[in-house]
Amino acid sequence: MELLEFAIEKALELGASYAEARFEEKNGTALALKNGSPEGLEVLADKGIGIRVLVDGGMGFASTNVLTKESVAEAVKKAVKLAKAASKVRNEPIRFSEEDFHRVSYKVKMKKDFRDFSPEEKLEILRKVEEEVKATGVNVPMRYISYYDQLWKKVFVNSEGAYVKSKIPRVSVTYNLVVFENGQMEQAPFVQRAFSGGLELIEKDEPWKWAAKDVEALKRLIYEGKKPPEGKVDLVISPEVAGIAVHESVGHPYEADRILGREAAQAGESFVKPDMLGERIGSEVVTVIEDPTIPNSWGFYLYDDEGVKARPRYLIRDGIITEFLTNREYAAKLGQKSNASARALNYNREPIVRMANTYLAPGDHSFEELIEDIKLGVYMVSFNEWNIDDRRYQQRYIGREAYLIENGEIKHPVRRPILEITTKALWSSVDAVGKDIEFYPGTCGKGEPGQGVPVWMGGAPARLRDIPLRRP
Amino acid sequence: MFDVNEFILKKAKELGFGDVVVLAHETNRRQVRFANNEITVAKNWHERKVELFVEKDKRVASTTITELSEENIERTLKTLLSNMKGMAPKEDYYGIAEGPFQYKDIPETFDKAIVELDEPNEYVERAINAALEEGAKRVAGVLYTDHNKLYLTTSNGVEAFDEGTGIEISVRAFIGDLESGHGTNSVRVLKKFDPESAGRKAGEIARMAQNPEQGPEGHFDVIFDPLAFANLLSYMSFMTSAYAAEAGFSFLVNKLGQKVASEAVTIKDVGNMPNGYGTRKFDDEGVPTRETTIIENGTFKTFLLNTSLARKYGTETTGNAGLIAPHAWNVVLEPGDWSKEELFSEVKRGIYITNVWYTRFQNYVAGDFSTIPRDGIFLVENGELRPIRNIRVSDNLQRILEGIKALGKESYHIHWWEVRTPVSTPYVLVEDVGITRATK
Repeated sequence: MELLEFAIEKALELGASYAEARFEEKNGTALALKNGSPEGLEVLADKGIGIRVLVDGGMGFASTNVLTKESVAEAVKKAVKLAKAASKVRNEPIRFSEEDFHRVSYKVKMKKDFRDFSPEEKLEILRKVEEEVKATGVNVPMRYISYYDQLWKKVFVNSEGAYVKSKIPRVSVTYNLVVFENGQMEQAPFVQRAFSGGLELIEKDEPWKWAAKDVEALKRLIYEGKKPPEGKVDLVISPEVAGIAVHESVGHPYEADRILGREAAQAGESFVKPDMLGERIGSEVVTVIEDPTIPNSWGFYLYDDEGVKARPRYLIRDGIITEFLTNREYAAKLGQKSNASARALNYNREPIVRMANTYLAPGDHSFEELIEDIKLGVYMVSFNEWNIDDRRYQQRYIGREAYLIENGEIKHPVRRPILEITTKALWSSVDAVGKDIEFYPGTCGKGEPGQGVPVWMGGAPARLRDIPLRRP
Repeated sequence: MFDVNEFILKKAKELGFGDVVVLAHETNRRQVRFANNEITVAKNWHERKVELFVEKDKRVASTTITELSEENIERTLKTLLSNMKGMAPKEDYYGIAEGPFQYKDIPETFDKAIVELDEPNEYVERAINAALEEGAKRVAGVLYTDHNKLYLTTSNGVEAFDEGTGIEISVRAFIGDLESGHGTNSVRVLKKFDPESAGRKAGEIARMAQNPEQGPEGHFDVIFDPLAFANLLSYMSFMTSAYAAEAGFSFLVNKLGQKVASEAVTIKDVGNMPNGYGTRKFDDEGVPTRETTIIENGTFKTFLLNTSLARKYGTETTGNAGLIAPHAWNVVLEPGDWSKEELFSEVKRGIYITNVWYTRFQNYVAGDFSTIPRDGIFLVENGELRPIRNIRVSDNLQRILEGIKALGKESYHIHWWEVRTPVSTPYVLVEDVGITRATK
């Protein structure tokens, strides 16, 4: 990519102390089926170059999708000018951590390359979801099912010798299903199955089976669901619920840029402070890992968008806060090396500190062992509504599919059990973790302008003792 | 860009496409982000792209072209055609609007002074200083300047051009970890830009919010600041789209003609609002934007529509295309006649919420949701404000609308990171709002 090398040289010539240039190209298709009718084909095609520079300790970023030398030179000029002006409104100059850089190229292989299939063949995947849902006999008057695939190509270079080229295909199916039975309505909204790789991963995952299971569970909830118990009970959370909880209350508050205030006016700050490294935040059975390198994961990458090599990060080990997520700027502020958490959604976005795949590490309990001594409790399988305050301390998850646990056995469905709890209480209440892990995809929102990046969330099921459960 | 549009239209016709819509954008956007009283990054985006929508025998497809060479345009059209050939038709597709149309200039949507503005950092410093003067210690936020050009050409005789500018700032001020306030200011012409007002409001609320106590739970009369209520209305705006109703994302489904809000409530979409951040002369198929009453004195009157969906339901477009999904431009909750002082003195024991975020739904069709107050939250008792913290609004969107008891007489135009569709709203008093909190 001569344009990238040209951008770096130009930036240094104009006075930048650091420069990086990133080319990104995305190609793919998106399709949807609304109540059985195709909504039209979207052919996704986007490419451009983003340039980020440091000048006199100020940071500037500019991007263009006009890929000519003139336009790139103009973008570089703008980035340098903006950085210079920004440097005058700073208390201290921005510095980056020292890192080892590589010249590498990597890609995720597709066994079934989605580019070899026509939109109509992809629509068949959605029709299969539609048919399997129909075959359950459950009344589902509103059905929105969508598919998308995208091939993400990137080339990253910086003024410190990094060259990283990558090619990551991503494929996903999402559905919203509204069940209406017996005069009542329940909903499974935005349920997604998603991977880095080819169509073979969707075929193996069988999203139609997930959809059928969802509508059957909602029908059962309507006919057999009872109020959940209130007051202090034991709660078993599934990998899906454990996933959202680690994402919201462990991943986000451990983002170093957040901890140090950079996102304060948007996603907020954090209850975690730099001096809390080494402090206990959960029980001894709680270990939370953030790992971008899991093969075929939705959040997959091997080098981040600052060219730093990725590795698993232990955010909590045995209940102790052990590591924050960092990029080069915030690693430098903490006197550390970056742990490769810098991600940008596209060429026109700056790389910022992000999660990739966050999970509750497995323990030693079988599922039967998790529930066998519970006298009265709830098993929360999936959730709909969730949110957390902007310091990541007060969260709430409402069960979609959930069951009563009585004397060690799973009983009837319960309606909308509400877990509304502080982060420390949540992780301190865990007394056992299951053996088997699962992952669920999501789009993590952060940054301004927004950068919804693909992530996996999940891990093992967990048992929480003495939880003040609520009803709606 | 019209020459590119014309070329695309000509080639599309040659290939046998039916309806064709070509919408070209040229955008220049600048951003200055700040935190801890300093600029963290400054950015510039220059983008040129063509959004293309094509139809052939009720099969529809769309794409974006950024490389505008004749060769790439022809290749893209041919790819679309071959992809569409084997596809099943969209049975409920009913075409695009018949042009041409007459467009009126909308006041206060373009200002050369914003295009020519060389250096906006001064505004950032003014906003930061305004917040610091109110007693804030740390100030964060973002400033944007926008300059957009739109060129629309359709196979139904539309050729339309619009050029717009904007400048906006969002400011959040902190004293301690738990004491913060937020203010925004979004305008289309420079002389109306008031960054200090955003900084002052953020700083003032942060100062008032000092030493908060744990908030209560139960049901309370709540005064929503315009910033907070704009969040709920912005989420609701998607639910007013006929597309969202069909897809199962709206509590308004099957409620046309029914009461969904208190008598005091009239909600409109105003696409041609002077100085509105979402204002445009025409929608994505060339229909002039207009004022559409969605809820009138509490009764739900219409979903937002494009031509195809309007024909499907035997009615007229509301000028809100989106060719697939119609959407709102500027949502307006009509103000009432209460002064701010009257609103606050009306509340014997209630809560004043200055901002919310993370609004999420348990059930879109039922409207059950919760949202989290952030920045200053206050217990209101006989006219006195006492700062509280850590509460959640847990309620139902229709019930909130039905519970609206009083509306302030001044309207505020809100657009920021958490309010994506611009909203104009006054202070809003809602009865009996569900409030919950974490108890462990």
